[in-house]
Amino acid sequence: MQANTDRYSRQIIFPGIGRAGQAKLAKSTVVIIGCGALGTVAAACLARAGIGRLRIVDRDFIEYHNLQRQILFDEDDVRDQIPKAIAAERHLRRVNSSIEIEGIVSDVNYRNIERFTAGADVILDGVDNLETRYLINDVSLKQGTPWVYGAAVSSDGMTMNIIPGRTPCIRCLFPSMPASGRVATCDTAGVVSSAPFIIGAIQSVEAMKILIGAEDVSRELITIDVWTGAFQRLQIGDSPSPDCLACQGKYEFLEARFGARTTSLCGQNAVQVVVPGDTQLSFEELARRLQQIGQVSYNEFMLRVAVDGYEMALFPDGRAIVKGTNDESVAKGLYAKYVGM
Amino acid sequence: MSVKVQIPLPLRGLTGGLSEVEATGSTIREIIDDLEASHPGVRERLFRGDEELSRFVSIFVGGRDIRLLEELGTAVREGDVVTILPLAAGG
Repeated sequence: MQANTDRYSRQIIFPGIGRAGQAKLAKSTVVIIGCGALGTVAAACLARAGIGRLRIVDRDFIEYHNLQRQILFDEDDVRDQIPKAIAAERHLRRVNSSIEIEGIVSDVNYRNIERFTAGADVILDGVDNLETRYLINDVSLKQGTPWVYGAAVSSDGMTMNIIPGRTPCIRCLFPSMPASGRVATCDTAGVVSSAPFIIGAIQSVEAMKILIGAEDVSRELITIDVWTGAFQRLQIGDSPSPDCLACQGKYEFLEARFGARTTSLCGQNAVQVVVPGDTQLSFEELARRLQQIGQVSYNEFMLRVAVDGYEMALFPDGRAIVKGTNDESVAKGLYAKYVGM
Repeated sequence: MSVKVQIPLPLRGLTGGLSEVEATGSTIREIIDDLEASHPGVRERLFRGDEELSRFVSIFVGGRDIRLLEELGTAVREGDVVTILPLAAGG
């Protein structure tokens, strides 16, 4: 225990945290949804700060173009085809063995999000799309669990805290999602690593303040442009909007039964295919089958096959990421043809 | 009144890549009319129908959400900074 007391000594000296605050952090659970740039930065800060339990959920695997900004991953992870959630867990265990860290490889959708966020004291947003953020907003309001929104693209970033019943929620400010194609993404606009670094760092300290019950929890929408140096704290009011459907208990994203089983992935020229039901793929069997038609490699987490000029990565739950296309029907077709649905 | 308008990334295609432009008017509605005149297409991206602000964008005057003020009728003063902000998506 001496080592652990010493481990946190420098933040315990800080009056805002102190011994009482540290004890609260140690008893807390934070669920990080999405483990890209924001998620790795926030997870690193929170694991080092001694959050008692960290659950990290991510659906993706690691590629070279992630290493520019996703600080928990390295070249070995790319070579060994380790999913992000698993790699994050492994790296963070070496950083802090005294806390519980659970990496979960999964898509997050209306069917399973409540399972992942159960028991969370704070939900931290590290996702790369708006639909999942609206879903997190719904589950936060339904469970009464605060969530910390964060996003970064190009040299811009923004973040705000949503504390159910006490602050506006994301739908109070932005009631609907824009049409697809009208959102700036990593592939159209690029991203400068410092933008997610700063936003992820702010998200993690806001999460800590919420967990501690500090009075200094931000009630503003913070925006930053790391290229121009512009930093803004925008006033969004101190209560939910009376017109907000979500704050009135209408959880449209959580209750919606979205028919689409495919999602185009931000910045990747790739499509994810999700199959309904509880699928459990046998990679051994699948590899035997697919070896006839393309080059196959697999480990316990993922199977990859190159076929028809595309690359398909399959996960044990039946989910697939088809690379080399943004066309959802092409991806669905390949899946149907080679995996079956 | 002349104000500075901060243009978000998805709208910069309409402002020749500029992240900040000047506009004149006495209310947010007039500022948007002026923006439309100098950068056609802005109005369609910010409005739902003729009278209502789009549901996926927020506008701030002097760092304050116009939802807390007079919505599109919010008055602007000389030198104010108007921020147009959609929810950012990357992560």
